Amino acid sequence: MFLESIRFILVQNRQGKTRLEKWYSDYGEQERQKLKAEVHRTVASRDQKHQSNFVEFYNHRIIYRRYAGLFFCFCVDTNDNELACLEAIHLFVEVLDSYHGNVCELDLVFNFYMVYAVLDEIILAGEIQETSRSVILSRLDQLSNLE
Amino acid sequence: MAPMKGLTVFIADLRKCRSNEEEERRVNKELANIRTKFKDPNLSGYNRKKYVCKLIYMSLLGYDINFGHREAVELISSSKYSEKQIGYLAVSLLLIENDDYARSVLSALRRDMHDPNEWIVCLALNAISNITIQRMAEILTEDIVVQLLSPAASVFTKKKAALCLLRLLRKFPDAVNAQRWAARIVPYLGHRDIGVTLAAASLVTALAQQFPDDTRKAASFAIRRLKSLVVDNEYPTDYVYYKVPAPWLQIKLLRLLQYYPAPESPELRSLLLSILRHIIDISQDVPRELQQMDAQYSILFEAINLGIHLDIDQGLMRECALLLGRFITSRETNVRYLGLETMAHLAAYIDTLEPVKAYQGVIIRSLRDRDVSVRRRALDLLYSMCDVDNARVIVSELLRHMAVSDAALREEMALKVAILTEKFATEYSWYVDVMMRLVSLAGDHMGDEVWHRIVQVILANEELQLYACKISLQTLKAPVCHESAFKVSAYVLGEFGHLIANTPDCAPVDQLKALQAKMGATSQAARAVALTTVGKFINLFPEIKTLCLRVLDRYRSALDAELQQRACEYYALGTVESEDLLPTVFEEMPPFPERQSALMSRLLKREADTEDQRTWVFGGREINRERKLQKPGNVSGGESTEDLDDAAARAQQLSDSDVQNSALLAAGGSGNEQAEAEDAGLTPEEHERVAKSKRHYARLLWESDGILYDGDEIQVGIVAQYKPPAGRIGVFLGNKSTAPICDIQVLVKSDSALAVQQATQDTPGSLLPLAQARLFFDVTCTRVFTTAPTLRVSYTVAGAPTVSELQLPVTMGHFIDPVTIPVGDFFARWKQLGDADIKEAQSVLRTPFLSDAAAVQWLRSVVGGMGFALIQGADPEPDNIVGVGIATTEVGGRFGCLLRVEPKPAHGLTRVTIRATSPDVARVIATNISMVFESR
Repeated sequence: MFLESIRFILVQNRQGKTRLEKWYSDYGEQERQKLKAEVHRTVASRDQKHQSNFVEFYNHRIIYRRYAGLFFCFCVDTNDNELACLEAIHLFVEVLDSYHGNVCELDLVFNFYMVYAVLDEIILAGEIQETSRSVILSRLDQLSNLE
Repeated sequence: MAPMKGLTVFIADLRKCRSNEEEERRVNKELANIRTKFKDPNLSGYNRKKYVCKLIYMSLLGYDINFGHREAVELISSSKYSEKQIGYLAVSLLLIENDDYARSVLSALRRDMHDPNEWIVCLALNAISNITIQRMAEILTEDIVVQLLSPAASVFTKKKAALCLLRLLRKFPDAVNAQRWAARIVPYLGHRDIGVTLAAASLVTALAQQFPDDTRKAASFAIRRLKSLVVDNEYPTDYVYYKVPAPWLQIKLLRLLQYYPAPESPELRSLLLSILRHIIDISQDVPRELQQMDAQYSILFEAINLGIHLDIDQGLMRECALLLGRFITSRETNVRYLGLETMAHLAAYIDTLEPVKAYQGVIIRSLRDRDVSVRRRALDLLYSMCDVDNARVIVSELLRHMAVSDAALREEMALKVAILTEKFATEYSWYVDVMMRLVSLAGDHMGDEVWHRIVQVILANEELQLYACKISLQTLKAPVCHESAFKVSAYVLGEFGHLIANTPDCAPVDQLKALQAKMGATSQAARAVALTTVGKFINLFPEIKTLCLRVLDRYRSALDAELQQRACEYYALGTVESEDLLPTVFEEMPPFPERQSALMSRLLKREADTEDQRTWVFGGREINRERKLQKPGNVSGGESTEDLDDAAARAQQLSDSDVQNSALLAAGGSGNEQAEAEDAGLTPEEHERVAKSKRHYARLLWESDGILYDGDEIQVGIVAQYKPPAGRIGVFLGNKSTAPICDIQVLVKSDSALAVQQATQDTPGSLLPLAQARLFFDVTCTRVFTTAPTLRVSYTVAGAPTVSELQLPVTMGHFIDPVTIPVGDFFARWKQLGDADIKEAQSVLRTPFLSDAAAVQWLRSVVGGMGFALIQGADPEPDNIVGVGIATTEVGGRFGCLLRVEPKPAHGLTRVTIRATSPDVARVIATNISMVFESR
């Protein structure tokens, strides 16, 4: 009856290959495949320079930003605060960047399990959990030193 | 965690594959390898972790992985952090269908929740929020609450515990028993750690919607916390994001406050205003860096939304309008987008639209913005800011843009144009012109609702019909005629073609020719409409009967079954030798009953899917006020004018509330019979008659037309049409006797809260045998009333004067319009209304003798017929029916009504509960429903 604030997160490259998918609402396998394809179609076709970072997607909204060849897309409720969400994407990218040292697409491929761990320290249950970059990074540091 | 070499090599291998077949071969080889390895009882933890990782990777690529669950569960039980981590990742990504594994995961989670190492507890909490199955909510909620509240728990544990609870609460609201702990979460809004406060704020926001009472202290916590962040600048530097202090927390708190009414305490009120003022002041300068600007503006937009919600300082609102005016011309597309969106929100609430209208030109230009997202927001805003004064300009601009706009936007544009035109039309010709243009322009992009609606409106407004006919014929004669325009034109001419038949070039034969000329090129659906029109022409214009029959005859052999059937039937009707068959079949259509416009419901459906009760809808103040009215804050506020009026009305009605039952009992009986009925000395025959009258009356409580009284001499029928707070009641008097009825007098006596006026001229003095007369009464519900009016019919037949006094089926329940709300909202509102005990009416009724499925179906139509919107899926019990409606009175205000029907087939009983913002309204609806049940 209640729905998450962030429905899902997708990180896709320009060809539409999904590099990270995180589903906070219940979607079936088929639906996920369909959504991935549609998000790519919706986002990649937009003019990156003159268009906003927000686009209508069914009854929701996709907030996205492109970093190099990767689109980071958050699907949220139409009532959510768009800019806050956009900056949450930036925060996530900054943390990945510091953690991997200049992150690139291949880091996400080879260290997929770590990306999930990083995400769980920033966003949990579809809500933003921690917003301080230094707090997140020192925590990740501490965890990666555990055996 | 150290990288796993084997995994890296495997991923690199797969990336090297040139084709899908090659990749598949590699995967199959690896799967076989892993299966063998898993058979080894001495497999090391590291290898187990590595292989499970490979399985996860393959499943992410889309391969179906159906083993490895046991190994994943073993990893979870490992004492090593990294192994445990991969184990939990595996169970959250690979579906677990086997109950045994699910049980072991559950017990591992339970164990880990109490691990002395906080990072293990955190891992378990991550897993719970990622997996979330019902059993977890049942057995782990308690443990999670303990972690959140325990002073010994780390801040990381607390953050995760709060969000975990939120997840469980959203998914299994009934299993977590949130009311027990809700109040204890609120003080965490004052926690020294910003991360903990943020997570708690998310949780409290969800709780606030369900348990406003338990969390009512949240508002003051949030205000004080905001003050320290915004005004006093107290925050750790770790939480400064591009020079902006804790933007996400500020936003969460500003949002949370939108679930509460403006604070009562003057101190908090002025504190809140100073916070908003502060935020607005900071935002006057445009920050240079993108991130800083985004962060600053995200707070500002939330602050403006809060300002709009609080509605306590019009000066502040005007200032916001100015600031937004600047934003909508910004070079930043994001800022333009949000400026338009927030302005639409403002327009939906602000007292006067003038500050918004100042930007009308800019907003219209935004319809041509490069970004479709921005164009969409501009459309929303134009729709919200439209009123009688600027409707013509806005509608014509929208029509102008329709031709060039994207297909995706066109349907919505068309719907909005249709709604605005209908709502703000001051001239009939304008309405018809715009709608005809609309269907021609956008016909391909909209559903049938639009042309159906046009026909409905034309049927309902006599004044429109002549002009509509002229335009319809013109449309048909134009070189190109769009399919939808063709349908409307065909329908209109079929109904009202006779109105223009005497005008030059509009003779029946011209009409038929115009129709025929276009008919060939249209779709089958349109041709079906046209055939019906031809059928109607036979009745309207006997002079062209032969021509019409010729057209029909040609279609009698059409390949399409629908066309063939229509043609055959109409042909047969046209050739039968009977004087009254045709006029009866093709009688003028009665106006459609006035219910919620299909256009509106379609539009609302587009916007409905959200959990957020703070929502507002585009489309102006009235709608939003209605929604606000239904909200708990206003209901329990007690100070609003609605409540005062309501109290007055209640006092006035108290005296006659008792009358209702006895009067209803005799409904329909003649004056004499009524007296006898009350004496209870009834003959079986009279018993039967009273029961029958009651049945007639009850039926009219949920159906709009039917017989009210069927006596030996006269019959009284009712056709009612409501547009709350007004309605029109048609009373049909039929003479059933063999002698003429003379000296007819008809009088309606009503409660002062219900104004009744006869709309047709004079009552005919007499009726010949089998003749019928109709009278119309306009009713207006000024306040809540509890007594149905009486209809007194007196007449003389064969020299004997007779008086019939009938109860007219016009009750408060008839002034209800359906309202659709998001599924998730229903029980939150239900609960809130239930807290004020007097506003509920409940009855347990014997379910009429029907099979289960039929009973449920019948119940649904009764509830729907009473004007409630059925909210499908809101009630966890599928057979239960819940509905939402709003009762409208002219000066007494509007009253939200929620209804819940719980059939219990096993006992043959049904429980009906009504909660409304007025107890009288609830009671009337309850009485109506019991009557419907009893007389079924």
